[in-house]
Amino acid sequence: MSDYSHPEVLVSTDWVRDHVGKPGIKLVEVDVDTKAYEAGHITGAVGFNWQTQLQDQLTRDIVGKEGFESLLGQAGIANGDTIVLYGDNNNWFAAYAFWLFKIYGHKDVKLMNGGRVKWLNESDKSLTVDVPKITATRYTAQQPDLKLRARVHDVIKAVEANSHNLVDVRSPDEFTGKVIAPPGMTETAQRGGHIPRARSVPWATAVNPDGTFKSADDLKEIYLKKAEVDPRRDTIAYCRIGERSSHTWFVLTYLLGLPNVRNYDGSWTEYGSMVGLPIER
Amino acid sequence: MDRTLGVYDDILDLLPDVENPTPLVRINRLNPKAGFALYAKLEWLNPFGSVKDRAAAYLIRELERDGRVNATRGVVEPTSGNTGLSLAGMCAARGYRMRAVVPNKVPLEKKVLLKIAGADLDVVTDELCPSPGMGEGSINMAKTRAKAQADLYVMPNQYENEENARAHYETTAPEIWRQTEGRITHLFVSLGTCGTVTGCARYLRERNPKIKVVAVQPTEGHDVPGLRNVAQLDVSKLFDPSLIDEILEIDYELAYTRALDLARREGLMAGPSSGLIFEGARRIVERDTRGVGVMVFADNVFKYVTNFVKHIPELAEGTSA
Repeated sequence: MSDYSHPEVLVSTDWVRDHVGKPGIKLVEVDVDTKAYEAGHITGAVGFNWQTQLQDQLTRDIVGKEGFESLLGQAGIANGDTIVLYGDNNNWFAAYAFWLFKIYGHKDVKLMNGGRVKWLNESDKSLTVDVPKITATRYTAQQPDLKLRARVHDVIKAVEANSHNLVDVRSPDEFTGKVIAPPGMTETAQRGGHIPRARSVPWATAVNPDGTFKSADDLKEIYLKKAEVDPRRDTIAYCRIGERSSHTWFVLTYLLGLPNVRNYDGSWTEYGSMVGLPIER
Repeated sequence: MDRTLGVYDDILDLLPDVENPTPLVRINRLNPKAGFALYAKLEWLNPFGSVKDRAAAYLIRELERDGRVNATRGVVEPTSGNTGLSLAGMCAARGYRMRAVVPNKVPLEKKVLLKIAGADLDVVTDELCPSPGMGEGSINMAKTRAKAQADLYVMPNQYENEENARAHYETTAPEIWRQTEGRITHLFVSLGTCGTVTGCARYLRERNPKIKVVAVQPTEGHDVPGLRNVAQLDVSKLFDPSLIDEILEIDYELAYTRALDLARREGLMAGPSSGLIFEGARRIVERDTRGVGVMVFADNVFKYVTNFVKHIPELAEGTSA
C-alpha cells in the first residue's frame, strides 16, 4: 500500500483482526444488502443502514448534521476514535459512509481493504451475530465540507465550461444508455446515456479479484493514462445514486492523491431526469 | 423395504441408483432423425422432484458420516431452489434445521415450496454490477450464516463439494450406461453447479472414451432458473472443460418454446432447462444423424408457470372468466 498517496486510510483484514476490541478503534459495517449485518458481522462492529440512517428520510439528501451526530453518538463513536469501515460489494456503501464521515469532518477514518467478502473468505477471520454493547457518546460533527460533494449545478457548469474530468463509474451498458439502471433496481432515471465528455471507467476496474484495490501503478495506468483523467483539473465522479462513485472518489482522492475530487451523489438518477440537460450516448 | 412391491422404509429409500433408475423415455415425434435414438432421463421422478436429490443426498450423507449435522446443527445452502428443496425434504425427514439462501429472481413457486418443506429463507438481491471475485450474494450470505452461527449451520456448498459430482459418478451415469446397454454415444446436459456433467462424463468416458459430452447453455442475460452461462461459471469449482466436447449456446427463449413442444408433442411435462437441452440435442441429432443420445432432464414444468407466462404471454390468455 506504500505507493498510495494516503496509505494511512487503508487497513488490511489482518490489521482489523489484530485490532478488534482495542480502545479507540470502532468498526462500522455498511452494506448494500441491509440484512447482511444481522446475519453476521465482525465482533464489535456496529451496522449502519444506508437507506434509513445515512440518508435524510424526507428530502432526497445526505443525512443532516444533527442526524449524523445522533447516529454516531448512539453507536458509541467519539470524535477522537479511529473508524474502520467495511461492507459488501467491495465496500460500495462503506466508501459512501467514508465520504460522509469526511464531509462531517471526522479525522481518522479508514477502509478495510477487500471489504466483507475478503474477510468472509479467510479462514482465520470470524463473524458473530452478537450485537455489541454500546455506551452512547455525545458526538459533535463539523459543518459539512461541501467541497467533497458535487451538486447538479456544479455538474452543469463543469459541462458548459469543459472544466472538469468527469468520471462515469457505472457499467458499460448504463454508460451507453442500453439500460438506465441495472436490472431490478428501483432507483432509476427518465433517460439513458451519460454526461457529455464523461470518461467511462467502471468502478470494478479499480479492484483485484480478491476485492482489494489494485496497485498505485495499475490505478495510474487505468485512470491517468487510459482514461486520460488530467490530474491538473478538478474531477467529478458519478454513478447512479452515488455509492459506486464514492468508491472511485476514494480511489482518486486517497490512493492516487488527485486534488479536488467531488462525488456527485445525485448522479444519473438526478442528471438523467432533468429537463433539457445535454446527454450523450 | 421391498422395491419390487414399491414399499419403502423411508422417503430417502426412493433415491435412484443403478438398480432403481429414473426412467429413460424415447423422443418420438420431435426426433428429426430416425437413425438417432434420443432419450430423456426424467430426473423429476426423484423423490423430491428434481435431479438435485442425487447431489443433496450425497451432501447430507457426508455431513452425517462426519458428524457435522445433528438435532441442533442443520444446513445452510445457497440455491436457486431445487437443491434447497431436496435438502429441505431430506432435512425434514431426518429432523435437521434447514436454511436456504435464494436469489430474489428465483420463481415464487420455489420460494413458497421451500417454506412448505420447512426451510427458513434468506432472499438476497442478485449481483447488480458484477466485479471479479466478489462472489454471488447468495453464496456470500450462506457463508456468513455458516461462519457467524456455526453452532446452528453447516454449509455443504454444492458449488465446490466433490460429493456433488460423485453422486452422478456413482448413480446417474451407471444408470445411463446400463439403461442404454453401453450404446450411448452422446450425453446432453446443462450447466449449473456442473456436478451432473462432471460426474457423468468421468464415468462414461471411463467406459467409452468416444462418448460425446455436449453441454447446453443459455445466452447471457438468461432467465432459465438453475442454469449458468459459461460467463457465470467461475463459482462452479466442479466445472472441468476438459470433460466437455462441445458447449452449445442457445437463445434462452427457446428453453420455453421447446419445453412447450415437449409437453404438447411428446407428453413430456418438461421444465425450461430441459427445453434448452432438447434444442441443443436436436441440433446435434440433425448434424450427426446416427447415435444414441441421452438428455438429462433436470426438472418438470410445474415450478415454472410464472416464468412460462412471462416468456409466452399467450399462455395466460383465456384463463379468466
